[in-house]
Amino acid sequence: MDLTAIKSDDNVLKPRPQLAAWSILSPLFFWLLIFVVIPTALLVVASFCDRDGLGRIVYHSNTENYLRAIKSPYPEIVGRSVYFATITTVICLLVGYPVGYFIGRSTEKMRNILMMLVMVPFWTSFLIRTYAWISILAQDGLLNGFLLWANITSQPLHMLYTPGAVVLGLVYNYLPFMILPIYGSAEKLDNALVEAAYDLGAGPVRAFSNIIIPLTKPGIVAGIMLVFIPSLGMFAISGLMGGGSQQMIGDVIYKQFSGANNPPFGAALGTLLLIIFAIGLWFSNRKQVQ
Amino acid sequence: MKINRSFIKTLLTVSVGLLACASSQAAEKLNIFCWSEYIPQSVVEKFQETTGIKVSVENYASNEEMLSKLSGGGSYDLIQPSEYTVEALIKADLLATLDSSAIPNLKNIGPKYLGLPFDPANKYSVPWMVGSVGIIVNTDKVKDDIKSFSDVFQPKFKKRIVVLDDARELVTAALSTLNINCNDITDENLAKARGVLKDWLPLVKVYDSDSPKTAMLNGDTDLGVVWSGEGALLQRENKKFKWVIPTGDSHQFVDNLCIPKKAPNKANAEKFINFILQPEISALISADFPYTNPNLEARKLLGDEALANTASFPPDQQAQKMILFKDVGKKASDIDALITDLRAE
Repeated sequence: MDLTAIKSDDNVLKPRPQLAAWSILSPLFFWLLIFVVIPTALLVVASFCDRDGLGRIVYHSNTENYLRAIKSPYPEIVGRSVYFATITTVICLLVGYPVGYFIGRSTEKMRNILMMLVMVPFWTSFLIRTYAWISILAQDGLLNGFLLWANITSQPLHMLYTPGAVVLGLVYNYLPFMILPIYGSAEKLDNALVEAAYDLGAGPVRAFSNIIIPLTKPGIVAGIMLVFIPSLGMFAISGLMGGGSQQMIGDVIYKQFSGANNPPFGAALGTLLLIIFAIGLWFSNRKQVQ
Repeated sequence: MKINRSFIKTLLTVSVGLLACASSQAAEKLNIFCWSEYIPQSVVEKFQETTGIKVSVENYASNEEMLSKLSGGGSYDLIQPSEYTVEALIKADLLATLDSSAIPNLKNIGPKYLGLPFDPANKYSVPWMVGSVGIIVNTDKVKDDIKSFSDVFQPKFKKRIVVLDDARELVTAALSTLNINCNDITDENLAKARGVLKDWLPLVKVYDSDSPKTAMLNGDTDLGVVWSGEGALLQRENKKFKWVIPTGDSHQFVDNLCIPKKAPNKANAEKFINFILQPEISALISADFPYTNPNLEARKLLGDEALANTASFPPDQQAQKMILFKDVGKKASDIDALITDLRAE
């Protein structure tokens, strides 16, 4: 950004800043080339191909996969995924913001302990944590056992294999991704500005909405991205906790590469999802510029 | 710009990179790619102890998943395809011929389970277990007399049903109620199956091929269309579970051990095949996964109770009505598309 702005002066022996910038950036470019550009290109190529009886890709260009992908029920599945991801993001924001803010404003010793607690679940495999939820939410599970024992309900509740269970699984797994960036922003927040707001007559609500929110916005934006995007593409949770009757687009794409033996169709769905993301990002960037 | 920069910085802070070191090279190896819940860990360990060969096991939940990983370049020494998948693999020339002199224990397998249509001379495959797809009923909750697939899929059982997450098995169940042979996959028959499944699938609560018994055991479902071995395990767990062999056709599968053509450790794979064909080892497998054991010597070691279980050992009269799947080639994708579409609705 600033690097390109530096102009080369009279000294010809001085290395050209552009070159230095490029050489510093080159690992990043290679990384992007090998892990982003090439795989995406392969995905797009595969999406126009056909497959044989064993599910191997056959290079025979056609647009059939896209024609199928834009027809019902696939747009509805994408819609459901967006719906689940949105609810997940909203809940994560509502729960994660106070937590992240509180951790960020705590004393250093307290902060380290709290951060540790946020990270602890990551020490266990994501699948094991999801299976733990299954044994908690099952009809003959721990939670129902407690509710019946405490006479809170007379009939066991249906909790597992419902849309609510899917959202719970998503929130549980992605909440730390909301807390961490908000914590990062809150930690850097200059208390003098908040005090200044109070001195100038702002109440707690005004100080929060006019000072604290705008100053922690980078953390909020990052948190929303980090929760929304992966929950949209998530595939294991809806199968394990939703019983597979609440399929998300990630499940359908995964299935194409595994059980359905149709990688080209999966590639077409993946490409469409990528385009939707790109358009979404472009719009949100444009809004920010305005 | 400021937002973007701190966004990227936050991203970098959050992402944690872990580099796993490649494990040191062992002398002798065997890579098994098998169904989940099918090869007991104890058997794998015994094999490692006896032979010193280091075994690694990877699982799959459907034949199609295995095919796509194998044809995608996965390097495996031993795979466990069902009958129709063996047929497809032979057609595609992806299997190695077995060295029969390395597998003398093949003599323990009952003649009924050898020379089946998908591999008439057993050049490529050795039967692992035989089973079927049937119905499991929690008789505490369901008092009706369930006899067929259409008895299961009644509106009053809405959201109390677990089924296999396997498109071909679901289509087969639908075709069976229409009296259509499950190998007769034509566009017309698929359209008919669609008519049936359109009403059935909204009633399903859980789709699970790995371990459908979990939903039954947890009380989340009361009826299931599941593998016979899962049914036998449930019956062993609690007598309230009743196994029903559906009237009409049902699928009998024969799962096999095969060696992919590109297997790096073919001799070790043959050693493993011969190892599990020993009666004592095969009986251990039956104890954990009570499917129909084709190993007649091993059956002698099983208790009377295990042999009397109709899920594990269906009466001949009913077993005769069961049908082996044939490879349906590209139609497999049509079958899957049908189920994917209906499930999403």
